[in-house]
Amino acid sequence: MSHFKEFKIKWGMVIDIDKCTGCGACMVGCQVENNIAPMTKSDPYNYVQALTKPRDDASNKLRTLTWMNVYELSNGMAFPEHETAYLPRPCMQCGNPACVPVCPVVATDKNEEGGIVSQIYPRCIGCRYCMAACPYHARYFNWWDPLWPEGMDKGLSPSTSVRPRGVVEKCNFCHSRYLQAKDKARMDGEDPMNLPDGAYTTACADICPTKAITFGDLNNPEHRVHELAKGPHAFRLLEKLGLHPQVYYVSEREWVRKQGDNYNADAGGHH
Amino acid sequence: MSVARRTFIQLGAGATVGILFTPTVWKALDDVSIWTQNWPWIPTLKYGAIENKPTVSKMCESGCAVKVRTVAGEPFGTMGNEDNPISGGGICPLCANGVQVKNSPNRIKAPMLNGEEITWEKAQEVVAEKLAAAGSKVAVVSGDQTGTANEVFSALLADKGSDAFYVMPCDMQAADKAWTGLMGGTGQIGYDLEGADLVLLAGADALESWGPTVANLKSFAANESGKFIFAGPMQTKTASVTSKWVPVPAEGMAAFTLGIAYYVLQAGKTADTADFGQFKAMVMSEYSPAKVEAATGVKADQMAALAKQLLTASNPVVVPAGPVAAHGAAFALNLLLGGAMKALPEFAKAIPSAMSRSEMLKADILEGVEADLLFVYEANPAYALPEKIKAGFTVAFDMVQTETTATANLVLPSPHPYERFDDLASPYGLAAATYSLGAPVCESSVDASNAATFILGLADLGFESFEEVIGAKTEAIGADMDALQGGEAYVVEGQTPMAASLAANVLGKASVPVKGTGTVGLAPYTLLNVGTANQATTPNAPCTISNNQLIGDHMVVMMGSATAKQLGVTVGAKVKLSGGKGECEALVQIFEGVMPGVVAAPLGLGHTVGDEFSKGKGDNVYKILTVSSEAAAGASTWAGSTVNVAKI
Repeated sequence: MSHFKEFKIKWGMVIDIDKCTGCGACMVGCQVENNIAPMTKSDPYNYVQALTKPRDDASNKLRTLTWMNVYELSNGMAFPEHETAYLPRPCMQCGNPACVPVCPVVATDKNEEGGIVSQIYPRCIGCRYCMAACPYHARYFNWWDPLWPEGMDKGLSPSTSVRPRGVVEKCNFCHSRYLQAKDKARMDGEDPMNLPDGAYTTACADICPTKAITFGDLNNPEHRVHELAKGPHAFRLLEKLGLHPQVYYVSEREWVRKQGDNYNADAGGHH
Repeated sequence: MSVARRTFIQLGAGATVGILFTPTVWKALDDVSIWTQNWPWIPTLKYGAIENKPTVSKMCESGCAVKVRTVAGEPFGTMGNEDNPISGGGICPLCANGVQVKNSPNRIKAPMLNGEEITWEKAQEVVAEKLAAAGSKVAVVSGDQTGTANEVFSALLADKGSDAFYVMPCDMQAADKAWTGLMGGTGQIGYDLEGADLVLLAGADALESWGPTVANLKSFAANESGKFIFAGPMQTKTASVTSKWVPVPAEGMAAFTLGIAYYVLQAGKTADTADFGQFKAMVMSEYSPAKVEAATGVKADQMAALAKQLLTASNPVVVPAGPVAAHGAAFALNLLLGGAMKALPEFAKAIPSAMSRSEMLKADILEGVEADLLFVYEANPAYALPEKIKAGFTVAFDMVQTETTATANLVLPSPHPYERFDDLASPYGLAAATYSLGAPVCESSVDASNAATFILGLADLGFESFEEVIGAKTEAIGADMDALQGGEAYVVEGQTPMAASLAANVLGKASVPVKGTGTVGLAPYTLLNVGTANQATTPNAPCTISNNQLIGDHMVVMMGSATAKQLGVTVGAKVKLSGGKGECEALVQIFEGVMPGVVAAPLGLGHTVGDEFSKGKGDNVYKILTVSSEAAAGASTWAGSTVNVAKI
């Protein structure tokens, strides 16, 4: 069953893996922008701490909330032929998302101009079907209420409401920045549906020291991503699944490109 | 009175109907379901005007030029400063978490004398008394590599007749010792990574932790036609994007560089120095490729190929790291090649009696510090240099609690960089002398005071406050204060480096690889998200730390499968590493990007004081580094550290 829906504007990313050193600045920038609380073991509001298990800390990668996550790739060779690469993974904002049709409460949808897959936290019932459906592991479940150590909550970002435990969350291409960019265009008397390149960009793309992440409208020839996504070394993750991700990667290294689509690589996969 | 069966049924039915009509029960059930699900604490967001205010952040060693994002005046995030060449819009993972560190409960909230809160006036009295008693036995350890605050501290030392100014061990120091000390050069060495067409990173993890990391990353990205090659004992994050990784043991880097110089000299390259003939003779006889191969294990063919690439490039540069000898060898090679190495002029001083940067870099902290009164400025020697510092009375200035503040007699809270005036003068490694200024973007949330202002209150140095010093500095260098406060940098281009000698005598001896006696070599490495010698990891960064560095509370060390076999360990094995004067515990991970016979361990873990994000996380690798004397170069180094590995 295909839910492929075309939009006039298609926000997307092109991530140059050959420029990513895996420094982690994008991950930190994302957490700050989107009010993702640091992982704290103790809960000052838990008055029966002695009777309960401590919360998970950040080294339990199954419980961390990393909307943007950097994976380390290896070519699998032994010394000295070994090579590594780093792959930042936001939500792919798929053209034909696997997460949307499985949501029983329509808490996630792809229906807004721009093609960003929404996540409506107050509607989410935490069933996690979407997490099971997403082949990119881009969705995260709040196992714990977000807690900022004493005093740190005063520096919350105005961009995103804080989510309680029990809901699923994910990257939304810093959606409030999109709203702000459109508002600014309206105030300046410009067309909010034809934003110039760079008028709307995500926190991770902003902060990246090598500008490995380029963000823009894939459909707009005046945006750099339009050409970059068509480059000879551009590829998408698990393209064979037919989910049409709006995030592209670029690498001149063949082994990196091969790892991008190794799902059922020998058997042809889905078309 | 007896209740008949019929009456009982009637009462029951009446009660049921009554309950159906009263809202109390349903409301109570509803409330219970809501309140048992509700958060104990509901965070609310602040709304208002969003502004981006330029300043500098000094959490990483070189410092970042940033813009602090504020909502209704309250900082909430940090972004890069596009107008400043050391940022270009990007920032490092430490500075990205600046606001969260500013608001951390780990901040020092007020002056503390031996664990008891005191007033600033009392602190001033105590220090003035100690200063008078100490005479010239006063020392300073600074964790700041770029700030004019160092001028204030060194001017105080000069006033007291002391020259005991120490910096934490850094590549800037090794570079200065080699360049101005051994080779008679002037200025600060820089590398034009953007303009070079071939960059050989000889041990410098330039795209992860070395030098002005963010500026390096920006140059790397902008230099699309240039080729980057990394040489070092492990495949660092830098090596993941360079076109080649050449495995070279850390202690062999100087010899490896001279091995390349052999081919460059053979090709007829010369340098205009008095001892060129002696240098050439030394390299040709002592560092022939065969000899270097025997000493370091790097194949002669590889050195020949690298030399060929350097010779055919029009603007090559070699970027060293580690011991003084490795720096000297790279500078000599750069002088022969005549490429993209630069010498940066030093900015004029604000305080005439202060030390120059080169003078500040002279004293070797690895040889130990002894003083009656010690000032530690935003450094953490108790963590990174265990047992090296001995002082009668220690005054520690810092933002947050560290191992050093925990052991200091007097602890004085510094404002966070976003709360104070500060500056970044030419972070080491940049190709041009660059001056950036930071002004406060918000009020301090604790009872903090600028360390340099405190020092100015102890002696008559001609200024009342650090803000005045910054004003004088700006005037002295001829920069426009308004432009600097607007986030722009004042830039003076680097010049062609000129040296009096190639330090032939010293390099010949100091470049011989010296290794410890442990079973395997130790390759300590720094990742900014894990932390530096002075700055522990930040609240949001632990999520970014991979299982190759930390699992739970256990540090992870990496080694190739051949080394694991040699040591008889497998993935996940718990081992004890012993070296230097200490021991560390770690779990084993196999990573084929580490040279055989070498174990790679992350620096920056294992804090015993601090917040929950760093305290008790992993082990402190600084404990197992061996300090060896580079006798010929008159310096000390950690290169060549080895460890014994035992299963536990």
